[in-house]
Amino acid sequence: MRWRFPGGLLACVLTLLAAASAPARAETPDAALAALVEEAKANCEHPSDRLERILCNGRLRSGVREYYPLFGTREGTTHLGYEPDVSRAIASKLGVEVDFVRVNAASRIPLLAQDRIDFAIATMGHNTQRDGQVRFIRPHYYQSETVLVAPKALRVRDWKDVAASTICVSVGNGSNAELVSRNTRLMLFDEAGVLPDRLRDETCTLAAQDDSFFAFYFTDPAFAAQFEPKMGFAQVPWGMGVARTGSDKLARALDLVSQIFHRDGVFLDIARKNRIGTAFLEKQREVWQRPECNTATGSTNKDCILPALDTALQPTPFVGRVNELEDWFEKIFGLDVTLPMFKTMPALSLFVNGVVNSLILIAGALTATLGFAIAFGFALGSESRLLRWPARLVTVTLQSSPIVLTLVIAAAFANAIVPYSSAVALVAAILALGLSNGSNAGQAVSEAVVSLHHEGRHSGMGLFVQALARSATSIVSFLVNAAKGTPIASFIGAPELLSALTDITSFSSGRVTTYCLLLVFYTVVVMVVVWLCNKLRAWLERGEVRA
Amino acid sequence: MSAFLHELWTDFVPTLLSAMVTNFEISFIALALGLAIGLPLALLRDRGGGVGVGVSATIIALMRAAPTFVVMFFLLNVLRDLSLFGVKLAMSGVMTVAVSLVPYSAAYVADAGVEALRQLRRGSPLGALLFLPNVTRAFFVIVMSSGAAAAIGVPEGISMILREAALLPTLGQRLVVFAIGIVLFGVPLQLGLALMRWLQRELGRRTMAA
Repeated sequence: MRWRFPGGLLACVLTLLAAASAPARAETPDAALAALVEEAKANCEHPSDRLERILCNGRLRSGVREYYPLFGTREGTTHLGYEPDVSRAIASKLGVEVDFVRVNAASRIPLLAQDRIDFAIATMGHNTQRDGQVRFIRPHYYQSETVLVAPKALRVRDWKDVAASTICVSVGNGSNAELVSRNTRLMLFDEAGVLPDRLRDETCTLAAQDDSFFAFYFTDPAFAAQFEPKMGFAQVPWGMGVARTGSDKLARALDLVSQIFHRDGVFLDIARKNRIGTAFLEKQREVWQRPECNTATGSTNKDCILPALDTALQPTPFVGRVNELEDWFEKIFGLDVTLPMFKTMPALSLFVNGVVNSLILIAGALTATLGFAIAFGFALGSESRLLRWPARLVTVTLQSSPIVLTLVIAAAFANAIVPYSSAVALVAAILALGLSNGSNAGQAVSEAVVSLHHEGRHSGMGLFVQALARSATSIVSFLVNAAKGTPIASFIGAPELLSALTDITSFSSGRVTTYCLLLVFYTVVVMVVVWLCNKLRAWLERGEVRA
Repeated sequence: MSAFLHELWTDFVPTLLSAMVTNFEISFIALALGLAIGLPLALLRDRGGGVGVGVSATIIALMRAAPTFVVMFFLLNVLRDLSLFGVKLAMSGVMTVAVSLVPYSAAYVADAGVEALRQLRRGSPLGALLFLPNVTRAFFVIVMSSGAAAAIGVPEGISMILREAALLPTLGQRLVVFAIGIVLFGVPLQLGLALMRWLQRELGRRTMAA
């Protein structure tokens, strides 16, 4: 007799085995949201969370911007743009009406804390500093990056092409620190709104700002025909924010809604409708469609969400004493003194390097000026035409070139020989300042040589030393001029103090104190140089008397 | 290359020349303010008595030591946040650069003015007239220094040169643009220096004759 395994029993066993070996099916965000909403609606008698109040009142107060083209604008009573549309979609998902409240960059967080809005969706970058002020919704609903915009004809392929270039930025922009670290020179403006106009009127050749900001201007055919984004950097995720207290359930609901909106392409459709960039949203849709992310706990899964941008700057060990000093100035003199260069390690490092580089630059410029003065004086005063005429040509050329142009030419030559670096800019500046001032001083030396010839003195080293002594006043005046000219080296990216302090003020406050200190520093240094040069002149003139 | 040079000649050179008007505008303002401040300081330095001499000498020494480029950034970043009797002190780009050149021009005028007053006291009016070529020299130094305005985005001559150069692909082409800039800035400078030398020679000749 043949034994037969019953077919029905086999099917049951296989089904049970399959069920036992498969992972437990995770709760979907949709189911979790539905449960949360039901639970919140049940607490209308005693609402303890903003979500309960919203659902029971049937109204959601959304803080939006009103002058951020494509993202949040208002025409009459109608709010337009990506963020108001997302607000409407969220309200629709929760089954409530939306009330728009105007916010700006400064007011969006305080209005949350004052309970005047339920949530803010207002171009707010999610960084570690803001994490302590608001609860950010995960996943993020958008991501911006800083773009470098320039005329189409300008060739910019990577950072090397913009090293030592001047880039127009707005003060306080989060990406300024990165631009500084790329050896660029910043031109600061108080408002980002002026940057497109400064590009158009050619005040700026390069401007850096959020791509979301420039997106509107690129919808203008004339602007788009003339300029283009060259490269993007410093990506910042944008997050909706809710108050840190009394909004736990609301935050959870918005987390789940955001997950669903990414997964289903709702964010993407709204972005397309408003003609904003969609690359980030397309990637996010792929992420939130993945099984491991499309769960009720996806918004806490580190493999699915993006980290906040880490913008916290390491404080100096003595930041407390610096704050006390600022308070003391305020209390005693009523002066609002701010010392950002002593408060964070990156700023302190820039400041110290700036001071050291300035002193190196001044010492180098003085040495180069003296050296070129002797060389030009020797060549211009020489009896050989082969030496005299080329030296004269170079002198006239250098005299005819504004110092800024001489610096730029020196930097162009230097960069053609070796790759750009701060040290190269420093050396190029020393040579340019030395050549420019040394050629003039050399001319004075050669005139002294001629006058000594007229007095019947014989040629030779003795005569040349006497000529140096006779032209001491001119040499000293050009040495002082060289020292005074050193801050111009910042124009070609030499990391001296002016450059360092401009960099510091681009990402911190305290411009007034900073530039006052700068003026005092350079004035004192030049006065010391004047004093030393007068000693040198006296020594040289004593030499002439002895001769 | 000829197309490149033709474009420079027809497009860049006229643009540069018109932008250089701003350099001269800046220089005229700086020199006028320098004369307005420097001449009273010279008088005070020469005839002000103990305190007057001390005060004017200190002011002149400080102005002489103040680097133009730093003063420009100081004015740009500090004054725009301040107001006096409710009036905002913020200045236009051109005025910022012109005022930043005033410490130099005022100190120079004061020094030349003191020397001129000494010559007058010695009974040499022609020697005192050397003040004029000295001021001419200061004017051309200021014209050359006004190129610093490029650093704060004022559309003057140097800005135009740098903007044009930035758009060119090769170092050779950029050097041609720089050379044109040197020639166009150099011609007025060299003419001015020649005028100054002629004035000095002429005054010297007359002094000898007197």
